[in-house]
Amino acid sequence: MKWKNKYFLCLIPFLSGVMLFYILPFFRIIYYSVINNQFMKEFVGLQNYIDVLENQYFQTALKNSILIILVCVPTSILLSTVISWFVTQSDYFRYLSISFILPVVIPTSVIVPIWREFFHSIENALPIYLLFIYKNIGIDIILISAAIKIVPTEIYEAAKTDGATKIQLFKYITIPCIMPSIIFSTLLTVANSFRVYRESYLYYGSNYPPDYSYTLQYYMNNNFLKLDFQALSCGALINMLMILVAALIMLKLQRKYSI
Amino acid sequence: MKKLLYSVLSVIFLLPLLLTIIKSFTGENDLFSLERYDDLLIGNQTFYRAFWNTTICTLVISLSVLIITIPAAFAITRIKSRLIDVFFVILVTMMLMPLQVTLLPNYIGLRDIGLLDTRLAIIVPAVFSPVYAVILIQYMRGIDTSIIEAVQLESNSIVRVIITAVIPQIKPCIYAVFILSSAESWNMVEQPINFIHNENYMPLSIFMNQAMEWDILYPAAVISLIPMILLYWCFGDELKDGITLGGLHE
Repeated sequence: MKWKNKYFLCLIPFLSGVMLFYILPFFRIIYYSVINNQFMKEFVGLQNYIDVLENQYFQTALKNSILIILVCVPTSILLSTVISWFVTQSDYFRYLSISFILPVVIPTSVIVPIWREFFHSIENALPIYLLFIYKNIGIDIILISAAIKIVPTEIYEAAKTDGATKIQLFKYITIPCIMPSIIFSTLLTVANSFRVYRESYLYYGSNYPPDYSYTLQYYMNNNFLKLDFQALSCGALINMLMILVAALIMLKLQRKYSI
Repeated sequence: MKKLLYSVLSVIFLLPLLLTIIKSFTGENDLFSLERYDDLLIGNQTFYRAFWNTTICTLVISLSVLIITIPAAFAITRIKSRLIDVFFVILVTMMLMPLQVTLLPNYIGLRDIGLLDTRLAIIVPAVFSPVYAVILIQYMRGIDTSIIEAVQLESNSIVRVIITAVIPQIKPCIYAVFILSSAESWNMVEQPINFIHNENYMPLSIFMNQAMEWDILYPAAVISLIPMILLYWCFGDELKDGITLGGLHE
């Protein structure tokens, strides 16, 4: 048998699984979003999307989700860039960086009890933001510190002989060189920010959190429980559209900054 | 000065964990006592079941991910065809997709197959998650192909090629994928809530969510922390290598 055929044989289990559990459901969701009812199955075009977009709960959910992205992603990236800069400077920092990376592997249900007890009197969505940043910063630190290590030292030495200060070195050499990794980390953080549902659900312990924390995933999950498949599908596709737009923007930026 | 600031920041980050551990050992009036552990382990027997469910699901998922995804990633990097490139882009798109998009159709699919309300309902969809495939593929694109071709001249069995030529080279990535898939499945919340209604199969995360008394949450948290910390201790360096090279090749 030729090698190419053997490769295809290797691919079959994985391919069938992905088709069955990820690709086919995606098309099924598109199908659900353009029919009006599970029983009549009439094609209604974009009417479901209009209904969902005008729904007051969906608008609240959308606003909260976008707020999470706008607040958490820049903070996480900025903090992780600064910390990565320290991590690559000396061994001492690298041993301490374990305390930033550990939250990534710690199960969320472990952190939530103490978070709840500490923040239970706060009336806005700050605990969720902090929880997300806490869990996510490790991944960004790993990526960005690896990128900082790859920058060739000759550039630093050349700049130092020209009399650059440390902050100038950071601003004019390090940041442009690690821009592709920063962009990739931003994309990863944005994608993860849509998954903050898990932390939020464990924190509030119910399907109906306070208004300032009601995000898109709550909307979708509650519609799933209410058996309103049309709203669920439209919400899911709008969610995916947002992620795709973010991904396309990031890829364009990455191409512009690639060396 | 920098060291001091950095140390303070590290301690602040470790604080939730330290507080959880300390609180689990306190009892009445914040004195040292083991009564919370006693309530959890001896008074309340359902903890063991939940822990066992989570452990077995995590182990099965992590091992299955490795067994199924490594040959597939190898095939994707070795076949040169437009279709495979398109498939890779589809995989990356699926990786960014939120969970709720697949939740409903998976529920219907699992119900039709008849796997709903068993442990397999959580295990099977998680095994085929595209994230690990993308990480493995990115890593495999950077390994030495001459070794692979040398083994291909010697033997005709693809299993031998993978075991002798590919796996030794991607060892850090294997550890990274193992830890990531373990952490992900130890932490699963949405799938068990929606797919499993039988109390016997409830995993640890749901157990902690539904615990009636807040007091037993702290010891439960500490005990569910231990396997993850052990894994990180053993494979932490490789985890960093695996994520790094997966991200740099983008």
